[in-house]
Amino acid sequence: MRDNMIEISSDVIRGYNDTMILYILMDEPSYGYEIAKRIRALTEEKYIIKETTLYSAFTRMEKNGYVVSYSQNADNGKKRTYYKITDAGKAYYQDKCAEWQLTKEVVEHFIRGDE
Amino acid sequence: METIRNYLETMFANLPNTLDVIKAKNELYQMMEDKYEELIAEGKHENEAVGIIISEFGNLEEIADALGISEVLNNNIDEDARFISEEESMEYVFDASQHKLFIGVAVLMFIVSPSFPIIIPNMGGIVAFFLTIAFGVALIILSSVRMGKWDFLDNVKCVIEYATANNLYANLRNNLFSKAVMKTIGILCIILSFIPVIILDELTVKSFFGAEMAPAALFIMVGIGVFLIIASTAKEGAYHKLLSLNDSNKVAGNYNAVKSTQHDYGNEIFNKIMPVYWKTVTCLYLIWSFLTFHWYKTWIIWPLAWLIHRVISTSYTDKRR
Repeated sequence: MRDNMIEISSDVIRGYNDTMILYILMDEPSYGYEIAKRIRALTEEKYIIKETTLYSAFTRMEKNGYVVSYSQNADNGKKRTYYKITDAGKAYYQDKCAEWQLTKEVVEHFIRGDE
Repeated sequence: METIRNYLETMFANLPNTLDVIKAKNELYQMMEDKYEELIAEGKHENEAVGIIISEFGNLEEIADALGISEVLNNNIDEDARFISEEESMEYVFDASQHKLFIGVAVLMFIVSPSFPIIIPNMGGIVAFFLTIAFGVALIILSSVRMGKWDFLDNVKCVIEYATANNLYANLRNNLFSKAVMKTIGILCIILSFIPVIILDELTVKSFFGAEMAPAALFIMVGIGVFLIIASTAKEGAYHKLLSLNDSNKVAGNYNAVKSTQHDYGNEIFNKIMPVYWKTVTCLYLIWSFLTFHWYKTWIIWPLAWLIHRVISTSYTDKRR
């Protein structure tokens, strides 16, 4: 019950939106809504990424060369922008994973349960 | 889905009309549309789906850096434009078209007034002449005072919403037919105004109509014709005025409805001349024809005018885009 009361602070999660998106793109190229949906499902609806957050992550990562975008017609004939991870993106993802391990280790020292 | 489109367009309305901004808007719309379709497919009610999507949209500050618009977002409060609601726009269309009709009636009075001294040869005719003119002037003054409350449209920066723009444009299109009919009848009235003169001339020989009836009828025909021409554009002027409120450098100036009413010749002078081109040509045609009565010659104005129009529109249209 208590877990549901706590909301993720957007300041904390901001640094890891890229990690989540890149994780999903590791499997196959995907588009905006599909990525949002998978993040939601993988986190069991504990984290719902906002559309604007997603879009700013796409543009930032494209500028940095971690993803490339191209438009493609979906099954229903609608034109969508797809994003594909690059080699630089894969390397960046590994770095972020390592960074998180370290962060988790460090912060973990200071976390006490209920007492 | 219309609600979502409106929401997004309103959020973006004051942003600069750049490629990055347009791309962001389209991309966000794409995501929201996908989400909407899925929520509806899950059996959610339309209102609920719209609520979820808007609550999960986030805010524009987040994409400001990506778009290079952080400055615009911060300065936005200062240059907040006056927003014209749908009801207000309808009210304006009503007021403005009424104003035009009053002016039409006043002009009708002015044109018809000389016929009174002709029909009534004594003092009564002169009095009626001045009364009609006074009535026309009073009508124009009263109506202009009433229109005064809309002066802010010219003085303050105003914007209309996406939905309002679409609505106005639909009305504008619906109005085209009745406008064309009225205008045609009006022009016919003026061109054919000499017919009553001929008929009445014949009639006066064997009827109680005085010979004066003929010129009076000419004034009345021309008056009605001019009134119809003015009345035909009554609503259209108002629609165009509202649709041109949105700044073309902002996203709001880029709505399809707004854009389709703007003809950009890429040249200041032509942008000013072209909207009144055909009206001017019609005036020239009528003036030349009536002054000379060389109708067999004056028709040449039309093919010439058409040719000039083609040359201008093909060589200048949309050069900026």
